[in-house]
Amino acid sequence: MIKTRLTPKQKGIWALIAVVVFIYALFPVVAIFANSFKTPADVGAGTFWPQNWTWQNYEMIFVGEAQTLFLSALRNSIGITLISTVIAVVLATLCAYAIARLDFPGKRFILFTALAVSIFPVISVVTPLFNLWRSIGLYDTWLGLIIPYLSLTLPISIWTLSAFFKQIPWELEQAASIDGATQWQAFRLVIVPLAAPGVFTAAIIAFFIAWNDFVYGISLTSTEAARPVPAALAFFVGDSQFEQPTGAISAAAIVVTIPVVILVILFQRQIVSGLTQGAVKD
Amino acid sequence: MTEPRRIPTKLALRGAGAASAAMLLLTGCGADEGTPVLTWYINPDDGGQRVIAEQCTEEADGEYEIRTSLLPADAPSQREQLARRLAAGDSSLDIMSLDPVFVPEFAEPDFLAPVPDDVAERTTEDTLEGSLQSATWDDEIVSVPFWANTQLLWYRESVAEEAGLDMDGEVTWDDIMQAAESTDTYLGVHGVRGESISVWINALVESQGESILEDPQAPAEDVETTLDSEAGQQAAEVFSTIGEEGLGGPGISSMDEEQAMRLFQGDNGSFMVNWPFIWAATNAGVEEGTLDQEVLDDIAWTQYPQMEEGTASAPPLGGINLGVGADSEHPELAYDAVECIVSPERQTEYFLTNGNPPSSEAAFDDPSIAEEFPMADDIRESIDNGAPRPQTPFYNEISETLQDQFSPLSGVDPETTPGTADEHIGEVLRGERLL
Amino acid sequence: MSTATTDKRAKLVTQQDRRRQEVRLGWMLAGPAFVVMLLVTAYPIAQAVYDSLFSLRLTAPDERDFVGLQNYLTVFSSTDVFWRAMLVTILITVLAVAVQLVIGFALALLMHRAIVQLRGSLRTAILVPYGIITVVSAFAWYYMFDINSGFVNRWFSWVPGISEEMDWFAETWSALAVIIASEIWKNTPFIALLLLAGLAQVSDDLLEAAKVDGANWWQQLTRVVIPNMKAAIMVAVLFRTLDSFRIFDNVFIMTNGDAGTEVLSLLAYRQSIMRLEIGLGSAVSVIMFVCVVLIAVVAVKGFKVNLAEGTGSNAGQKKETK
Repeated sequence: MIKTRLTPKQKGIWALIAVVVFIYALFPVVAIFANSFKTPADVGAGTFWPQNWTWQNYEMIFVGEAQTLFLSALRNSIGITLISTVIAVVLATLCAYAIARLDFPGKRFILFTALAVSIFPVISVVTPLFNLWRSIGLYDTWLGLIIPYLSLTLPISIWTLSAFFKQIPWELEQAASIDGATQWQAFRLVIVPLAAPGVFTAAIIAFFIAWNDFVYGISLTSTEAARPVPAALAFFVGDSQFEQPTGAISAAAIVVTIPVVILVILFQRQIVSGLTQGAVKD
Repeated sequence: MTEPRRIPTKLALRGAGAASAAMLLLTGCGADEGTPVLTWYINPDDGGQRVIAEQCTEEADGEYEIRTSLLPADAPSQREQLARRLAAGDSSLDIMSLDPVFVPEFAEPDFLAPVPDDVAERTTEDTLEGSLQSATWDDEIVSVPFWANTQLLWYRESVAEEAGLDMDGEVTWDDIMQAAESTDTYLGVHGVRGESISVWINALVESQGESILEDPQAPAEDVETTLDSEAGQQAAEVFSTIGEEGLGGPGISSMDEEQAMRLFQGDNGSFMVNWPFIWAATNAGVEEGTLDQEVLDDIAWTQYPQMEEGTASAPPLGGINLGVGADSEHPELAYDAVECIVSPERQTEYFLTNGNPPSSEAAFDDPSIAEEFPMADDIRESIDNGAPRPQTPFYNEISETLQDQFSPLSGVDPETTPGTADEHIGEVLRGERLL
Repeated sequence: MSTATTDKRAKLVTQQDRRRQEVRLGWMLAGPAFVVMLLVTAYPIAQAVYDSLFSLRLTAPDERDFVGLQNYLTVFSSTDVFWRAMLVTILITVLAVAVQLVIGFALALLMHRAIVQLRGSLRTAILVPYGIITVVSAFAWYYMFDINSGFVNRWFSWVPGISEEMDWFAETWSALAVIIASEIWKNTPFIALLLLAGLAQVSDDLLEAAKVDGANWWQQLTRVVIPNMKAAIMVAVLFRTLDSFRIFDNVFIMTNGDAGTEVLSLLAYRQSIMRLEIGLGSAVSVIMFVCVVLIAVVAVKGFKVNLAEGTGSNAGQKKETK
């Protein structure tokens, strides 16, 4: 960290660096943002910004022809992602508490399992799941995605939370125990408030990962009943059978990027610490 | 850090709300109203199928209600979605809009409910020959033709004139390739790796009176293709010439039906093989002001180009047939609905509103059609002469291998590509090779 | 665990009871998560191994035959399909991870030294690629380069080798370049954050000492900083490698495997989901799974990457490295 006052030259350099980093990080997003305001003619014109700004792509996905496809996908994505995030975080909180706090045989193995699951090639389990789901009727349902999404959300939640829980001052719990509280009471009254920020961080990261899923989304669904947004984007159709829906896809892409950007802006600190060391300290 | 603590509870609540919403969806509303609901899986169009669904629901007067559900844009993805659901024994597949090439694959394992004899008779009385073939498997009608499609040769009169080509006579592929070269313009053909490659190669082979597949009924191990023949090599020659000499323009490798149309409408457009949708699309472009009226005035059409001068071409055939899922809870009602959907009047209206040509003769006879589509007679002739793509349960594998071998165009070698394609198709179907 | 706790509690319950209770509570709390994880991965992969021994096509469900290892033989002998996909996958993985590491390290250094006012906004900016849906990123990159709608050709037509008529997705090399670029863009932030955490652990004293000894900036970096954060680097590389190896979304959206860009995940998807050849698809899936395990084993045994200590979630913690 630089503590001394900056010379104008240093300021200039940092401003330049900031601009370069910003361009790097945001350029593709801005490009697709610009696309989302183009008319079909502008899309073919090959310019960066639209020549005639139009809302027609947004109209198409919210009130127009692509409405059924997009709105149902949005509903599916939000519902399925949130439910699987909540389940994962609840299970992971209990699990991480046990790992951070209790000594029992097999806890290293649980961590190892979480690790193994997180590096698992999703495509490897998709075929058997597809086959099983179709025979027990989970194919193309919310539950049929929520369950496999746990393989994405659980491991990261367990790791983030156990790292986080290890840094909680557990002496407080001892103190509570001495005061006569049971371990459960101590957990609920003392630790839960301390742990909540970590749990929230884990939830955001798990949400990102589930929100991002594509392989399960296209393999285990086939209609608007459960198809999430990333899969729906790949199935967007244009005005005619042969028209490329570039504008509508771009508009939908921007819509689903908005929650990501909001979460990032509001919680960048927590996300970074969750991703790196599970610590709240900066 | 109190704020973040509260949020997870909110999320949880919202999640629960969404879950109950999902339960509502899953149980399906209206199930207790007594009217059986038929789900019609439709391919994307300009909304025509949805209108027909409403009309037929009304006509049924409470006997059934048709709801539409949209399939993906391209035929292979539609097949993928439907095949997966059919294999899953899904009872919601009441009516399906099927690309004819996948009918045998669904008919062979009895994924389709048998067409009652009387329905088959009534719906195929005056069906155009090419369309009827596509609805048949094992000498039985297994699906009901709904509309038919075909490709015409579209051209810019100014370019044909400049090249000195007489478009009223017989036009061959060699003619248009030479004309494009001499006028320094681009041909509108479909070089993108996709179903359009198979459509094209099949049409070139069929236009020489040959077929890609020897015995369409053969089991997987015995399927043999005949690309390594005079006809196959001639077809490959066309691909390779266009590819190597850049006659299809710089974007040939991503050129699909729509891109080809845009190229054709542009300054370098000359000749194009394409489906009739381009007529409506070009008219719409002029109305919206994105295209000049002069472009529209310059456009003319004739029959699909010939391979050998004097031998009538066998244009590509497409369209949609309707199938009823074997596990549908209401197969009889579904076939009632199918009959309503494919009635000649509706086919006429569908053509007028959505630009998809009828498969029924009677539908073509409607006077309003000639008014709206000056090329209606050419379309009808083209469908009549058209040759379907190979009717086999293994069409997907054959088509994918063709696409693999015959794209990009510049990589096609008339000497070796057809032979390799035959070999690969055999190996894939015997399970000796991956796709 | 904390012996202090046990000592105090020993007055109330016997140590053995206490111990048994703790074990039971431990498994009660951790068990559900553990079981769910096994159910959603171990069971399907076992099923995949079993399915891979059969010839089964879903559109011909009655013709299910036991074929032993035939499916694997078919996969391995499809040189121009399977081995090519393997090669492309490895190529994407190696190039993408290498570039991510370099850019990620540069970003990490920047953020580490950045003035306080800038830190928040820099972090926010680079988290956007991390959080964005891969499919969205794939579309963004695709539209930028697409010959019909992209502006890249127009902007960069002065660069030798790029013209307005260049079709990026028609040739293997250019298509792979765009795929790799989008992969790099999307994942570099993650690696940068892991490395940033690693940087924070490099002791300032060591750096001061190096400065006193007259080491220049580059020497400080290569002799002090990098050796001291080797563990964090190795973990970051391993995680990115395993993740890149299963690349699917980008390729599916941009080329769908055309122009020679087929990767292993897409190959598996094509066999089982598109062709409904469950047996062949399962064989490819199992092979991919074995590859991932091999990479992890080689990294852990061969390069001594300590996964238990340095996962994505605590890579930055102080390492007791020997």
